[in-house]
Amino acid sequence: MTLITPMILLAGLAALLGFYRLLMGPTRTDRVVALDLLFSIAVVFSLLAALASGRSVYLDVAIGLVLTGFVATLAWARLIQEKSNPEQNAETS
Amino acid sequence: MNILGGLICLAALVILLIAAVGIVRLPDALTRQHAATKAATLAVSIFAIGIGASAWNGEWAWKLALMTAILLLTMPLASHALARSGLAEQERREQV
Repeated sequence: MTLITPMILLAGLAALLGFYRLLMGPTRTDRVVALDLLFSIAVVFSLLAALASGRSVYLDVAIGLVLTGFVATLAWARLIQEKSNPEQNAETS
Repeated sequence: MNILGGLICLAALVILLIAAVGIVRLPDALTRQHAATKAATLAVSIFAIGIGASAWNGEWAWKLALMTAILLLTMPLASHALARSGLAEQERREQV
């Protein structure tokens, strides 16, 4: 149980670095990449919650987070790709 | 939590921290995507193995295996779509 605290600190430090890139990212792809990393860190936090509390409900939360993160990242990536396509942009605007 | 599971989980978190440092330090959107997605997939998979080694019973085992299988199936697709969007945005910026 004493190993839980340094694990939370390490994952929190990684989350801080990911939030830095999410806020400061110069292009939109940088922000979505940081969001993808933050979804992975959220899965790790959910697994840590399962380990710390001993309940297997948090593993279901982790499965749901993986699926939601996949759909969200795919949708944002397709949106950015279609928005930065020049001829389609000329058609719409 | 036994000592083997704790060591595996700490190693996975160090890999995750390396991915986060890479996402801050690398110069380009494509290189940041390269650093973040592959290392994060590896880190979450190893972390699931560590959780399974420290709290072993049947229900946790199949839920962790299902989560790792979904992760290994979906993360390459997401990183591929991110690479395509990064490339399209880079071409767009070079044209303008």
